[in-house]
Parts: sequence; structure tokens; C-alpha cells
Amino acid sequence: MTLTRAVATRRLAERLTREVVVTNLGQAALELQTIADRPLNCYTYGAMGQCSSLALGIALARPDVRVVCLDGDGSLLMNLGSLCTIATEAPRNFALVIWDNEVHQTTGGQATATAARSSLAAIARGAGIEKALEVRTEDELGRAYDLALRGDGPVVACVKVEKGRAEGRFDRDVLGHARRFMQALAALPAG
Amino acid sequence: MADPSWSKHVADVLRRNGIRMYATVPDYVVSHVLEHLWADAECRVVTVTREEEGVGLLSGAWLAGKRGALLMQNSGLGNCINALGSLNVASQIPIVLVISHRGDLGEFNPAQVPMGQATAPILDALGIRSIRPSSIAELEAQGDGLIKLGYTRSLPVAIVLPTELTGGKQG
Repeated sequence: MTLTRAVATRRLAERLTREVVVTNLGQAALELQTIADRPLNCYTYGAMGQCSSLALGIALARPDVRVVCLDGDGSLLMNLGSLCTIATEAPRNFALVIWDNEVHQTTGGQATATAARSSLAAIARGAGIEKALEVRTEDELGRAYDLALRGDGPVVACVKVEKGRAEGRFDRDVLGHARRFMQALAALPAG
Repeated sequence: MADPSWSKHVADVLRRNGIRMYATVPDYVVSHVLEHLWADAECRVVTVTREEEGVGLLSGAWLAGKRGALLMQNSGLGNCINALGSLNVASQIPIVLVISHRGDLGEFNPAQVPMGQATAPILDALGIRSIRPSSIAELEAQGDGLIKLGYTRSLPVAIVLPTELTGGKQG
């Protein structure tokens, strides 16, 4: 049975303590906001494709904090060069989790390149990220989260999930959430 | 003839305003500034694959408490437009753009000219305040004030580097 983004998000949320979680502008943000809104979540609302770069910037600026980025296949496909920069900078505190449902979900479910032949885990390995996994089961997901939350990064986990929109109503308090995130991260003691 | 110390003045304006995180897609002109930053152990310079990635990266650094500047050619400004609008302006995330101005005075490559002419209108359309110092004296007179304004407004600002200041690239 294929994993769902909701279950995979919930499994991650159960394990979070002082980690920063950055989401892309689509379903990943709505899903996380609905399931586990918290000040250390950094939602992006624009700049499609940029969330992995933004998360990398946080990881480089705060090497004492673990940063998990929740991206989508369509979004990462817009910014594949980010994988090369992640490999080059190689932050130990950085994990990129991709919800790969093989479609542009927010715009109506049009197929992406991962529906055909492209493998984002293989592309990540080709970019030079050794810990790049493809995840299809709950057991594999658990092991990927162990690596993402406790292992040495950078880690890329491409999680194959069912198609489907997230439940809930998106709160687009763009400025409020950015301010809340900045304050929460600034207040987080060096760890 | 441009005074070759212009590049150190640009690097010094950035550094004395507390900027330690840099992203770049190098061009011939900004690489003179990068030489000073690469040589400075306190500065971290990340070479990205596309300028827009630098916008994302420095925005993240700002949210985590660090000031950042993106060094690029004006062709790269074209690659950043959506991110600057939908991320930095919408979320009020300041970054300093340092933009080498190709396609203007002395240009030898016709392909550079359209973006050269579009540079100022693009910045204006996004509401990004910019300066275009044609001498070191102008840079020194305006640079600190521009960066201060950027952090006061919490919005991007741009230092556009014309060939009168830098000598440009000879083709």
C-alpha cells in the first residue's frame, strides 16, 4: 500500500523536538500546518522551487539546529541545482524530504517527470549526496527519519506518496508566520 | 580609467554593515569583489548554480539571523525576479543585491543589451531601492545609507555597478 503524505507528515511530527521544518508552498505546507503547526515551522508561500535553498540557508546560518525541508517533486524539479549546492556545502544538520506523488498536485494533478523516468533519489546521488534514499513503506520511512533526525547529513529522502490534496484550510498569514518563525529560532538556545 | 580599488570598497561597504553570508554566480566584474570576500575567513561565500537559488539561500540565512548579499550580473537579476517578488517583498525579507551592469556603456556583446536596459525598470517594478554609483566617492557616500534603508524597510536593496566605476569587461 502506498504511503500518504498525511501519515508520513504525522510520523515526522511525532518525532520533532527542536528541529526546524521548512515546507514548500503547496500541499506540504497545508499538510504540516493542519497536522502540527508550531513556531519552528517555516512555511513558504511563494518562490516555487526555492524552499530547499531557503532551508539550506537556515542550516548554514544555524549549524547547531537540525533543519528538515519538506519539498514536492514538482517544486524540486524547478531547482535541481539546489541538490548540487547541498552536496557541495554538505551541511551535517540538513535533511531534504521530498513528497513525490508524481504530479503537480496544487494545479490539478498534471504529471511531473517523476511519473515517467526520472528518479529524484538518483539525481541527488548523482549530485553527490551519498545518503539519498527512495522510501516506499512505513519501515523505510522510519529508517529515513532516523537518518534525517539523528544521523549526519546531508540526507535526501524521496518518499513516494499517494496523489491527493491535503485536508484543511490554508492560513496564509505570510508576515505573521515569518515573524513567529524568526523569533522562535532566535530564542532557541544553541544546542 | 577605473580605479582598481573599487572592488575593495564594495567589499568593505558590505562587511562593515555586518554582512557575512554571501551567495554568487560569478561574473568577470563581481569576481573582483569576491576575491576580497574569499580571502576573508569571517565571510562565507556559497557559489550557487542559478541566482534565484542564492535568493532562497540568503532569505533562509536572514530568517536564521544572518545578513546576506547576492553578487551577480544583471542577467542573473532576470533569473531572480519571481523569488524576489514572491519571497522577499511578500515576506519582507531583506537582502543586498550587488549587480554588475552589463549591456550599458561600452558593451561589446549585443546579447547583453536588452537586459542591460531592463535592469533599472525591473528593480523599480519590484519596489527595490537601488543606487548606481559611478565613482568610489559616490559608492562611499551612498552605500551605507542604502543598506541601512534596506534593513529599516526589511526589503531588498541593490547596488548596481556601472562600467564607469568598475571598468567593465573588455571584449
